[in-house]
Amino acid sequence: MENDCSNAFIRLNSLTRIYLQGEREQRVLDGVCGEIQRGETVALLGRSGCGKSTLLNLIGGIDQPDGGDIFINGTCINQMDEHGRTLFRRRHIGFIYQFFNLIPTLTVMENLLLPLELNGYDLAEGRCRCMTLLEQVGLSQREESYPDQLSGGEQQRVAVARALVHRPAVVLADEPTGNLDLESGQQVLDLLDQLVRDEQCTLIMVTHSQAVAARADRVFNLRQGQFVASEDVVW
Amino acid sequence: MRSLSSLFANSSSLLWRASLRHLGRHPWQMALSILGIALGVAVVVAVDLANESARRAFDHSMQTVTGQATHQIVAGPMGLDEQLYVILRRSGRLPVSAPVVEGYLAYGKQTLRLLGVDPFAESRFRNLLSHVPVKTEEGLLKRLLTQPGAVVMSRERMEAFGLSVGQPFELWHSGQRRQAVLAGYFEPPAEQRAVLRDLLLADISTAQELLGQVGRLSRIDLILSDVDAENLDAINSLLPAGSRLIPAASRGLAMQEMTRAFSVNLTAMSLLALVVGLFLIYNTLSFSVLQRRELMGQLRVLGATRADLFRLVLGEGLLIGSLGTLLGLLLGILLAQELVQLVTQTINDLYFVLTVRELSLTPMGIIKGLLLGVGGSLLAVLVPASEAALSPPRSVQNRSGVEQGARKLLQPFAWSGIALLIAAAVLLQLSDSLLFGFIALFVLILGFSLLTPMWVSLICRYSAPLFGRLFGSPGRMAVGGVQASLSRTGVAIAALSIAVATTVGVGVMVGSFRVSVQQWLESSLQADIFISPDAPSGTGYEAALTPAVLQIIERLPEVAGIRQSRPVEIQSGDEIVHLTALRLAAESYAGMQFLEGTPDTVWPLFDREQAVIISEPYAYHHGLHAGDTLELETNQGRQPFKIAGVFRDYETEQGVVKMRMPLYQYYWGDKSVYSTWLYLQPGVDVDAVLAKLHRLVGDQQALRIHASKTLREASIKTFDRTFAITHVLRLLVIGVAFVGILSALMALQLEKARELAVLRAMGFTPRQVWGLVTAQTGFMGLISGLLALPLGLVLAAVLIFVVNRRAFGWSMDVVVPGMVLLDAVLLALIAALLAGLYPAWRMSQTAPAQALREE
Repeated sequence: MENDCSNAFIRLNSLTRIYLQGEREQRVLDGVCGEIQRGETVALLGRSGCGKSTLLNLIGGIDQPDGGDIFINGTCINQMDEHGRTLFRRRHIGFIYQFFNLIPTLTVMENLLLPLELNGYDLAEGRCRCMTLLEQVGLSQREESYPDQLSGGEQQRVAVARALVHRPAVVLADEPTGNLDLESGQQVLDLLDQLVRDEQCTLIMVTHSQAVAARADRVFNLRQGQFVASEDVVW
Repeated sequence: MRSLSSLFANSSSLLWRASLRHLGRHPWQMALSILGIALGVAVVVAVDLANESARRAFDHSMQTVTGQATHQIVAGPMGLDEQLYVILRRSGRLPVSAPVVEGYLAYGKQTLRLLGVDPFAESRFRNLLSHVPVKTEEGLLKRLLTQPGAVVMSRERMEAFGLSVGQPFELWHSGQRRQAVLAGYFEPPAEQRAVLRDLLLADISTAQELLGQVGRLSRIDLILSDVDAENLDAINSLLPAGSRLIPAASRGLAMQEMTRAFSVNLTAMSLLALVVGLFLIYNTLSFSVLQRRELMGQLRVLGATRADLFRLVLGEGLLIGSLGTLLGLLLGILLAQELVQLVTQTINDLYFVLTVRELSLTPMGIIKGLLLGVGGSLLAVLVPASEAALSPPRSVQNRSGVEQGARKLLQPFAWSGIALLIAAAVLLQLSDSLLFGFIALFVLILGFSLLTPMWVSLICRYSAPLFGRLFGSPGRMAVGGVQASLSRTGVAIAALSIAVATTVGVGVMVGSFRVSVQQWLESSLQADIFISPDAPSGTGYEAALTPAVLQIIERLPEVAGIRQSRPVEIQSGDEIVHLTALRLAAESYAGMQFLEGTPDTVWPLFDREQAVIISEPYAYHHGLHAGDTLELETNQGRQPFKIAGVFRDYETEQGVVKMRMPLYQYYWGDKSVYSTWLYLQPGVDVDAVLAKLHRLVGDQQALRIHASKTLREASIKTFDRTFAITHVLRLLVIGVAFVGILSALMALQLEKARELAVLRAMGFTPRQVWGLVTAQTGFMGLISGLLALPLGLVLAAVLIFVVNRRAFGWSMDVVVPGMVLLDAVLLALIAALLAGLYPAWRMSQTAPAQALREE
């Protein structure tokens, strides 16, 4: 497996992703290059359909590029087989989605325990870790509730806790506040900020909101399959 | 291959918990799946238990009657001259031998088996008299040897008949009254009680008198040492022509072979029910996986591997399959209690006397049911488990990806379906075996199911404009909804259409058979009146009309022609041959339909040469044709008979050989007549002749005297009774399928809750929502019914031209009643509409806001 010799924690090297729509090819990503440092918070900005989520999926190993490479902490993840990528993702990546995507038949506590169990951690010890996170997100009283008993903001806070419970190196957030009201969204972003920095995770966040993007250390703008400079972006 | 335990060893317990709770949150879906598999397993277990019980009862019966005998000396229908036994004993070659006279008698409506033995020689063979209680033993031997009509019966029968020791009573044989005296009773041990319940024991000479076989023996039982067994030729040389030495087990094996095809077909029908049940498991779990596709994607994103998801769904299938199998085993045992009666009745009607009182619950039968149910469930769940494992993590974002994927699979599925149909056709040509026929049937069904989604897609595409014109937007939406959810609707429609097709196939086959049998009865039963002794079912070969009765009949002035027959069973080699001796009237010749040979070529040979005619099944099973030679064991040794022709016949699936009566009498020395057909003079009133006959012969012998019309009706009733089992199994298959479609359609509609809520929010009234759901499920039912028709007809063709032909050897004219086809479409439509009732009601009652919540 190829190793990356640069210092960047995450390196994107001429990433290309093509979708077929009937006979037509759509180049969603067209030779994207970029570097992200460890512990950095990065926002991906762009219009709907520009490939932000696609890029997130590629970094998370749940999709494969049609060209180029992705290095995370020196490991080229796109050269791993499917099983390898799954195990890598299980250990090193946390996901947060716009629509929360909690497991509906598991309680809040069980949703948090699941990544720990998949990673082979002792669940008794894991419970302590989960309670700590629940307290941090303000939901320690709701550990036995099911997702359909929570509000949208509460669900997203659980999702944030779940994404961080196994201390991943990278957190990928796809429009984490897209389904929330302003106040809840702010709450979630504050929590995310704090937790990511406490855990020293690298956060890559997809958003179409300038205000959300402003919280990041850096902003990548995606247009026509490529990163462009901020000043070139027209909203 | 990894063992099951290691397969599940590494699974996450939280994943299992999530999965089980999902099943728990859809209890009706799970319950219907469990019920579906339970019904399928129940039918298989019930048929297996019924067949096994019949087989064991038969084995026990044969073992009890055969006892320790290693060999038997047998002869033709008239049995052996009793002097042969004396000669053989005096020769010193057969130190351990015993004469046996055997037959059936009736006490009221109860059939009893009479075994006449030599009490002094008997103990080494059966020792049945050892079951007589000590307190009643005194004087029993003397009574048996000296008292005319002295018999011993089981205590159970004695009490049931209200008899006591020493009491005289009447028995009937071949329609004639026989006087008997109860000399004693026996109490067999528990394991033999069922077999010996209907047995009568008597001394040889008493049995000869009761059965009208004075001077004759049914057989001579032998126990041959290993040394003797090597000298069988020497023993055979002592025997007169027409008798021979056979292994004791061979007759039992030959009789069991008679019911083989019946058992095989019954088992095949039951397996069909199980296949439909397994299809339901596949159906339900496929739906469940599809419903949770986003969830599966979420789990993949969290780091669950493909193997984790595969194990998860496999485990669900195993759970549902195990619960269904356990329930099915219990239901099967209950169902078997009823089924065994039907099986026994059919065997008695068609083959031989058999009494099955108890169900034989064997560990093997239970294990078979377990393996079929659980093993089949695992097989059925492999595809959904693989689908789950292949759930892409991206599906968590892409809700329409599922259907796009499904549409891409339409063509590969269709091509696979066509390949399987071709494979089925090849299998049918490859071999003449019945097993290949059934395998081809199942491959056919599988191939059809793979083609269904493509057909559904095509029908929807061309129906949408029509439904739009007829019913407006709701009509178009109903059709569009089926097309849009093809991954689900395709499976549901395939399951229902297969089940309905099965009923069409079996219905057409049974209907065609019935019409063919009716036509055969009408052509072969052309005489006006039928007369035979009133003998218990299955014992007709022993009965005969007395000479006095025959004389009375022959002297009737109203009679223009008389046809006589004598059906017997002869053992020729290892098989039992049904042979019928015929004395034909001039009017009889027209009643036979020849498949090989013509009346002009057949009858002259039959009447003048050493020739026979054989039925279609006999010709098929033995690979014989008109012009070939058939050898039969006669009292004068093995003789060749030319086959003059092959005729259509549904009397017995083993087939029948017919020869003219003088030829039979010459070779077998049997001058008795079993039945007589009377052709009356023109203008004579049949009922008047019937009344006259009853008056004239009433005292001579108990007879069955019927107008042919009555006999035809009775024959059709026997036919219908024979197929009662098939109808029961057919209903169960429909039941299993209905459960499946109910489960599938309910899941489908409830999944659309959000979509329907959007319509409600837009202004659809609850009534309009109800109409939309009903229209969609009704449309699916209609498609299922229409698709079931071609498959059903193909299944019918395979059942008629392949399965029936190979199992039973007979052909039939194909008749497709319009009502069967209409019923099939209505059945599918009604099943689907019923299945849509609950979802329609629930959707119409649900507040839109509740359904519109994201999670």
